Order: sequence, then structure tokens, then C-alpha cells
Amino acid sequence: MPEQAEKIVVALSSIPNTGKTTLFNRLTGSSQNTGNWPGVSVEKKVGRFSLGEYEISLVDLPGAYALSPVTEEEKVVRSYFLKTPPAVILNIVDAGNLYRSLGLTLQMSTSGLPMIVAVNMTDEKRKVDIPLLSTHLGVPVIPISARSGQGLPELKNALYEVINKPERTHVPHISCPPILEEAAKELSRKIIPGGALEKMDSNFLAMRLLEENTLSNTIHKTGLGNFIKQWRCRIEKSTGETIPITCAKCRFNAARGLVLEATGQKPEPPNGQNERIDRILLHRWFGLPLFLLIMFLLFQAVYGLGAPLQTYIGQGFDAAESWLKVQPSIAHQSNWLQSFLFDGLWQGLAIVTSFFPIIALFFIFISLIEASGYMARAAFLMDNLMHRIGLDGKAFINLLLGYGCNVPAIMGTRILSSHHSRVITMLLIPFTLCTARLQIFVFLTAILFSASVAPLVLFALYLGSFLVIITTGLLLKFLHIAGKPEPFIMEIPPYRMPTLNNVVLRTWQELKDFLYRAVSLIIAGVIVVWFLTNFPADVPAAGAETWAGQLGQLLSPLFYPLGIHWQETVALIFGLIAKEIVVGAIAVIYGGGDLSNQVVQHISPLQGLSFMIFTLFYTPCVATIAAIKAESGSWKITLFSLVLGLIVAWFASLLLYQTGLTLGFR
Amino acid sequence: MKKTISCLEQKPGVECIVHSLGSDEKVAQRLAQMGVLPGVTLQIIRIAPFGTTVEVSIDGSQSFAIRKDELTALNCQVVAMPLTSSDVQLHIAYRIRTLSGGRRFQQRMEAQGIHRGLFIRINNRTSPRIELHLIDQKKIVKLGRGEAEKIIIEVVDA
Repeated sequence: MPEQAEKIVVALSSIPNTGKTTLFNRLTGSSQNTGNWPGVSVEKKVGRFSLGEYEISLVDLPGAYALSPVTEEEKVVRSYFLKTPPAVILNIVDAGNLYRSLGLTLQMSTSGLPMIVAVNMTDEKRKVDIPLLSTHLGVPVIPISARSGQGLPELKNALYEVINKPERTHVPHISCPPILEEAAKELSRKIIPGGALEKMDSNFLAMRLLEENTLSNTIHKTGLGNFIKQWRCRIEKSTGETIPITCAKCRFNAARGLVLEATGQKPEPPNGQNERIDRILLHRWFGLPLFLLIMFLLFQAVYGLGAPLQTYIGQGFDAAESWLKVQPSIAHQSNWLQSFLFDGLWQGLAIVTSFFPIIALFFIFISLIEASGYMARAAFLMDNLMHRIGLDGKAFINLLLGYGCNVPAIMGTRILSSHHSRVITMLLIPFTLCTARLQIFVFLTAILFSASVAPLVLFALYLGSFLVIITTGLLLKFLHIAGKPEPFIMEIPPYRMPTLNNVVLRTWQELKDFLYRAVSLIIAGVIVVWFLTNFPADVPAAGAETWAGQLGQLLSPLFYPLGIHWQETVALIFGLIAKEIVVGAIAVIYGGGDLSNQVVQHISPLQGLSFMIFTLFYTPCVATIAAIKAESGSWKITLFSLVLGLIVAWFASLLLYQTGLTLGFR
Repeated sequence: MKKTISCLEQKPGVECIVHSLGSDEKVAQRLAQMGVLPGVTLQIIRIAPFGTTVEVSIDGSQSFAIRKDELTALNCQVVAMPLTSSDVQLHIAYRIRTLSGGRRFQQRMEAQGIHRGLFIRINNRTSPRIELHLIDQKKIVKLGRGEAEKIIIEVVDA
């Protein structure tokens, strides 16, 4: 029997925007798993590849500037290193941003763990003295191009050699103020690192203890608390600043010297081409209109390309359904079972599949924008407006994602650095016009309005969504619902051409996630609808006497002022499960037959508009609620979100419908 | 006489040297870990729409976005500013530090005898054109606002 491959854990780490994801995708291809880091909602990606007799599991650590954390992501990185040190660290630095990249590299190289540095040659003109870097850092340094894959074989060879012979030749020393060095030396003698920490340099561990006061339990178990506290006070008194800042100064002094030696230049020269593009795209007056235009084109493309694909998929499912229905093995089953299979299960499957084109297209475009570097610029352009509602530019990206699907958007609030931004963004995302709701709107507007008016109605719904987000944001800011806003500091990366590999993998990952998340939920939802509209068993299906009908009628006093009939109320209730099933539910409730005729007969344009407004603002779906609960960790916030949505929806619909009636519309 | 960025007009072209990172610990630690430390030169590249967020480059290299409030909180001494800054005083000598426009702009300036390292003085800026006195050349040049914006000058000591 062949010997089992030895499993080796390699951690991929870097500061943000160095090409880490590109390298990760290059090395692991599609064999990636995503999940969450324990206890926090920060995405964890692990990929696998084989290397000689070893099986490598590559852990993609979130981007971090240092091991003394400021953000959630950095806390994850620090805990990972101290609790489960990897066998090898693979650090990637950007040759075009060497100074800033080296801050983290220097800190990690002092850890004493086996390490490799990959220099991503993003700028061909820039010469970097690789052997010199390697000598100074005491680890192998390999020039690569994450984009083209150049240097990857060499990187793998180096990795293989480090795994075989993990001993470090030397651990670099970064000179610090004498008092700090003395403290670290004293402290390192007292630490007796056990277990996982044994491989680490004790001086490095002492520095961690001095930089961060919450670490004591992770690193040592004896009573060093007071000893550390005394030293910390002495150091801070003598330097006049906090220890993380003193340490950053030491690191960057070393980094500056290293960059000067390795490249012969002081700082990185400015990127002329970048500046020329930004002069237009970030223009004080034209920047925002250009951004809005790009967004408009993006959505046009998503729906222009996605909607026909959806129609084809729908037709395919219809054809398959009629084919299946005449198959003897199915045709002989009872009516009851047939109804369940086709109106329940099959329809659920059709809905899930019909979602694929839109989600795929949406993430193709989003990953293009993200990888090109424009996303950060959008945040820069929007920061002022977002700041007015108590958020920062980064949160705008989440809101934007909400226009695709609320669930990933809410999951994405993890990228925000403060609790405040997270909560507010989470509460606002449900008011975005997601693709599921858009389907309802596309369907209804096409039936209720002429071809020339329908797109305008859709556009007005988007505007309505913006308007509600702004007013609700102002309200939440005024109410101080989630504490104080945080400062906004965000790196603006240079423009880069996105790689096909990255876009495809990202889109595939999102589709997979959607599948896991949605399939069970949506199919379950459709089955519940089927049950409620088919029972009690002795009444006509989908009639007023079914459980669903009774519920709708019970609520009708509330919905009468909005011009929403009990049949649509029932559809709205089902919409809580997933917006995708609302249209199907309307069809079933109005007794089947030609849906367009049914809608035209029963719903006036004004009533339809009121229905759409309500749909736009009330609770998106159970998946969104689940995401809010998971990300906020609070039932209070989840419940608040639910109630907020219902109230906003009710008042907005009331306002529209009653105004419409008064103005003589119907 | 040098001033910190807090009391000066923040507009594109203004450059300052960080002296200390201010009192907000979180902002200070974040900036420090991004390499923004005492001794580093920050330059305002551009102002975002509606004017509260600015793009700042570190030592002429990669840039980051920060709000004016946080930038103001830094102890950052202004060393250079565009000719159009309201903080430029009349009849005081300055030195031209950079011409920030494209090549054609530089050629146009060169043709008028304006280049790096030149000592200048502003005589008048109330009229639509700014009157620039080239001290050593004993010459007066009139510039439009658009041109003056791209000329970054530094304070001359003593």
C-alpha cells in the first residue's frame, strides 16, 4: 500500500492588496473550501495541493498590517499564529509597495517559524535585489508574478526544501529603543513556551506580550502579569507613545533601509499611468457621475444578459415538466403526489436554478471591479455621502452588494472595521433592491405597464430604495443606535488588470455558497407554500378556505389601506421565506391558469405599485434574517431589523397608494 | 515660520512632514502600521467629491484615503503648498518645489522661465491672474488659476 501523504499546513499571509488571492488561486486552483474562523465572522479559506510526497493545506489568512491587531481580521491572524502556528509561513510582498509590505514581513520573520517570502513583481521596471533581501530576512526569497504564474515552480521548490529542512539560518534582529530591548530580553527569559509555541523565538513572544495586554493567557500561564505591566509603564513613559507604535517605528526604520539597499531608491516612484486614470475617474466633479454611470451599465449588463438566460432555463424546466408528467411511472401516481412533486418540489428546483445566471453575472462584474482596484475608489468617492448617514465609504460596497443579494452583502459586513458600521450597514442592506425582488418587479411591471413605462417604474423603484436607505440611515444616526462612528483610513491600491482565474474562481465560489444556502431553504419554502395552499384537504386548492387564505383574510384590515388584496397578502407571507416564490405564489393563489391574465384582472397598476413598494421594503427573506443573526450575534438587532422593515414598508406603501388615489390614479 | 496642517487650507499639492501621530490611539496605531510615522512626508493628492475625504500619498508613493478631521489631528508640519493656497502670503519669498502638471504644462512653464528651485514672490492675486515675481530673474510673470494650482512652492527659511 502506498504511504499516506504527510499533511503540512502552510499559512499565506500579507498586507492587503499584494496579490495574495491571485497567488492562492494559482497554487490551489479550485480545490478550495470556505468557512468561518471560529468565533468571528471572518471568512476562512483553505486550499490544497500536493508537493512531492507532501499534501499542503494552504490557509489564506486575511490581509493584516501587523500582528498587534487593530481590526477583526488582524485579530484572527494574530490568534492563528499564536494558537496554531503553521509549519511554514508563506508571505507575499508587493515589489511596487515594498516599504509597506515589509512591515509585516519583518515582524513575522522574527517569529523564528520557517518562512518563505514571495516578491510579487507587479512592476517589471522595478529591480529588487533578491539575494540581499534573503540575507537580511534570513529566509528564502523568490521573485514571482502571481498574475502570469512566473516563478511559481521555483516557489514550490523552495517550499519543498523548507519543509524538508525547516531550521532557520538566523532570525533577523530589529533594533528597538534600549529599554524595549531590555524588557524583551528579561521577559523572554521568564517565558517557558510550551506546546505549539515551542518553535517560536522567545524574544518574539516577549514582544507580543509587551505589545498587547490581552495575550497573557495564550502565551504563558504563570503570573507574569504584573511584571509585564511594570515594564509596559516604564517603556511608555520613556518613549512617550504606546508600544505598538514604538515597534512599528523600529520595523519601518528597518524596512526603509532594506528598501533603499534592495532597490537603490528611496520610496517607490509614483505610478504615472495610475495617476492619469485617477485624474478622470476620481475627478472632483466628474468622478461621481462616472461612478453612477458605471454602476448603471453594470446592472444593465447583469439583467440584459441574465434575464434571457433565465427565460431559457424556465422554458427548459417547463419542457422537462411536461415530459416528466407523461412518463408512465409518474403519471400513475396519485394526484396528490403529482401536485406535490410538480407544484412543490419541481418548482422549487426551477426557482433555484433560474437564479444562477444573475448571481453568476453579478459576481463576475463585482469581482472585476474589485480586482481592478476601482472598488476602493468607489469607496473614496462615496465616503462623504456615506459619512452623512454615519457610515464610511467601505460600507457603500456592502450596500452595493445588497443589490445583488442581501445575504452575501450582510455576510460581507465583516470587512467593515467597526461594530458601529457593521450594525448600521446590516440594518440598511434589507432595503436594497436585490435580484430576487427585481424578478418580481420585472414580472409585474411587464404585465401592468406598457413597454415604454416599465423601465421607468423599475428605475423609480431603485430610486425609492436609495431614498429609504438615506432617510433610515439618517434616522439611525440620529438615534445613536450603535454607538459612535469610527475613523476611516483605507489604502488605495494601484489599478490592476483582473485575471480570468480569479474572476472564475470567485464566481464559482459564490454560486456554490448560494447553492448550499438557498437550495434547502427555497425548496422547503415552496413545499410550505404548497402545504398551506392545499390544506385542509377537503377545500379547493389555493381558495379562500385554505390555511393560507384564512391567514390572508385575517390580515386584510391591515393591508386594505395599501390596496393589497388578501391573495397578495398571502403571497407576501410566503415572500418571507424567499422572494423568489412570490410570483409563483400569486399564480397558485389566483387559481392557476394564465398568470398574466390573472394579474391584469385582479390588480390595478396603482395597486401593483403599492404591492411592489411593500415587497421592496419589508423583510427580504429568512436567509437574510439568518445572516443578520449570525453576523450581529444579537437577537435584538435581528428583531429590530424585522420590525423596521415592516414599518417602513407599510408607511411607504400607504403613502404611495393614498397619494395615488387622491391624484386620481387607479 | 512653519505651521501644522491643522491651521492651513487642505488642498491638492499641500505637503507636510509628520511630527507625531496625534492623540487618537486607534488612528495612530493604524497609521503607524501602514508606515505613516514621524519623519514621513504626506502629500494631499486630491479631495473627494463634497470635500471631507482626501487622498494622501506617503513619501510620494502609494496612497490612502483619510478624512480631513483625522488628518487635521496629526501633528504634521506643512512644508509645501500650491501657489493658489490662501495661506501663501504676499511679498514673501518662496521656492518652487515641483511643477505637478503633465509634460506639456512643464514645457509651457519652462518657456516662461519657471522651473524647479526658483525663488519667487507673489505680488498680487486679487485679479483673475496671479502676478508672480521671479526674484533672481527680476521678472514678472502672470499666471491663470489653473496654472498656479499646479505650481507647488515651499517655504524658505530665513
